Amino acid sequence: MRFLPPSLVAAQRSPSASPYLRVTVSERTGGVAQAAFQRLYSGGEPEGPHAAALAGDGSLLRARIAGGQLYYQRVPSPGPGSSFGSWTALGAAQRSLALAALGAQVLLAYVAADGSVAVRESQDYGASFGAAATVLPATAGAQHLALALKPGEVLLAYATTSQVAVLKRTGGAWGSPSAWPHSLGSISGLACHYGGDYNLAVTGAEAGGRAGLWTVVFGDGYRQGVGTWSALREVQRADAGSGVAFAAPCLSAPDVYRLGLVESYSGSQPYARLQLSHLVPGIDFADNWWREPLPSDITGAYGVAMAAASGLLWLSTPNGVWRADLSAPALDVSDRLLALEMEEVPLGGSLRLELADDDGSLWAAGSPLRPGAEVAVSLGYLTAEGPRTSPAPRYWATTVELRAEDGRRTLLLEGSSAWGLLSAWRARRQFAWAAGERNVFGILSFLWARAGVPFSTVSYSQAAVDLRPAFTVQPGQSGLEAVRRLLALVPDVVLLSQNFALLKHPQETEAPVYAYGDGHPVLAAAARRALPVANRVQVFGQGAFAEAFLWESVALGGDRLRQVHDLNVTSAAQAADRALWEARRLLLSLVSEELTVPPNCGQELYDLVTVTEPSLGLAAARRRVLSIRTGYDARRGLYRQRLGLGAP
Amino acid sequence: MEVVKGVVRAFDSASYRATVQVAGSLAVWLEGVPVARSVPASVVTAGRRCVLVFFDAANPQDAVVVAVYD
Repeated sequence: MRFLPPSLVAAQRSPSASPYLRVTVSERTGGVAQAAFQRLYSGGEPEGPHAAALAGDGSLLRARIAGGQLYYQRVPSPGPGSSFGSWTALGAAQRSLALAALGAQVLLAYVAADGSVAVRESQDYGASFGAAATVLPATAGAQHLALALKPGEVLLAYATTSQVAVLKRTGGAWGSPSAWPHSLGSISGLACHYGGDYNLAVTGAEAGGRAGLWTVVFGDGYRQGVGTWSALREVQRADAGSGVAFAAPCLSAPDVYRLGLVESYSGSQPYARLQLSHLVPGIDFADNWWREPLPSDITGAYGVAMAAASGLLWLSTPNGVWRADLSAPALDVSDRLLALEMEEVPLGGSLRLELADDDGSLWAAGSPLRPGAEVAVSLGYLTAEGPRTSPAPRYWATTVELRAEDGRRTLLLEGSSAWGLLSAWRARRQFAWAAGERNVFGILSFLWARAGVPFSTVSYSQAAVDLRPAFTVQPGQSGLEAVRRLLALVPDVVLLSQNFALLKHPQETEAPVYAYGDGHPVLAAAARRALPVANRVQVFGQGAFAEAFLWESVALGGDRLRQVHDLNVTSAAQAADRALWEARRLLLSLVSEELTVPPNCGQELYDLVTVTEPSLGLAAARRRVLSIRTGYDARRGLYRQRLGLGAP
Repeated sequence: MEVVKGVVRAFDSASYRATVQVAGSLAVWLEGVPVARSVPASVVTAGRRCVLVFFDAANPQDAVVVAVYD
């Protein structure tokens, strides 16, 4: 249960408290601003290697190589009216270049005409540069460059045809290259960004021809030891012979880490298309949990350069500039709220809002109230200390409808919970984990991240950590189906909290977190006795077998059989555990009582509560919360919650 | 149980397992799928279409290539 201030607890137990609900809408998904890019420049510059950075004074710095020449551009106060077509030639260059800025410091690195790597530096926000200094000889074989800055330190990353190495400048002196301990058959692109460690993205192909995008960390003491390399971590992959390849990665971290890359296909309908992704909130780069890359209509083999500052994300190519506002301000529609129905159920959840829109502003162009918008509802009351609320799980609008009747305009918004985002995500390729490769928690994290939802834990079973099953997600399968199949392997459940999905191990021995009927009024109550879908579970593994029963139910209605066949079960002990978990899951799906109460603003799914309700013969009975349906109707003065309860 | 179609991308006659491109997966193949011993090794060649049966749709080890055609 979410923490509630004492004044809110007192109010929700009072029969006369006035409801207070807060509803905001923003252009976010999973808590991350949706990047809607506006094109500010379309030019005639030829495609080629390019880079971009934002200086500390807000100037947009761009550089490109064309016809063996290095061109540079600095646009102070960039915006829709700026001129992005004026370039200054800086001399001969080839193959690759990189730009990075930190405050007034700007570094520009490039492969010179002789194959060496040169660096030029500015201390005035890129307005002027010092002379070029050679930092790597031609024999280093640099094909791709990337730069990252932190106060007092510069890191130049470079890739040869198959290796990546970094070179640090500390105290004005360049050190020796540190090569990574990995190997690829070929490298097609490199990006680097400093965020506690030096975080790199690399595209290319393994020696066997399998193409991929990987992340790797060169440590600076945050998640990776100083001067050491992490493992290569796969983000995207394409098997040899598929015709799919990756190139031109770019990185930026304006809010969360954002990543761009070019995916190309050489088959029957070839393309080279920009893909954009981001880390889910609260996740480190080293965790490598990226949202499913979204295709963009920006095409070209050299991809884009990313730069960000002040809540704006910029994309740049030699002949294009785009800008997206990431501020995604929350529009408060609390005073427009006429009615609300919010449902929290296992593996689902929905929201329905009715909002007054007499002035037409909510339906107007530019309003964030549109399909895809993130809706944050906080339930509360007017308390002795003023209005107090608690944030419910987030919802995302699926439909928005305008209704005009009797001279009044209302908007009807329908949305789904994070389960809806998961359900909407479909595997666009085969995902497979071999037995022993990754635990259940890791695969769940990956799948939720693919749908753009951060995943964490309230509690977890040992099985969620220890079990590393052979598991696959078939192409076209929904994330919801994949997560449902994974959860079937462990005794854990998933609940939603704000924009997070959280793993929880519900245990019968848990302490209750709240009491109904003992302070918190029960307005209506109902009890139900029903048979579960099954009450006898047989588990068949590899040479292992076990059974579990819900004996009380068997005595009532005979045995109802569920059989589980799973080759990941390899011992009698595993089979016995699995049978018990499955039987418990059947029990947890059975609602035995339903209470109608004044909304408990902090109630969460799967909380253990006690119920005292003499009409049902319940005295401090332990129950698990299996569904929460909250309703509010301003016109009828209704504010109610219906709780579905089951065995603890 | 699920029946899906695919394309054989590679075959190891020693382990009698195939690498299969399951329909709908443009770029990534499923490796190590058992092939029915009733299917002659000589016909399991790259590029041929095949039929996979997943006894457990979530477990790539609980599947078998039951037919190769074309």
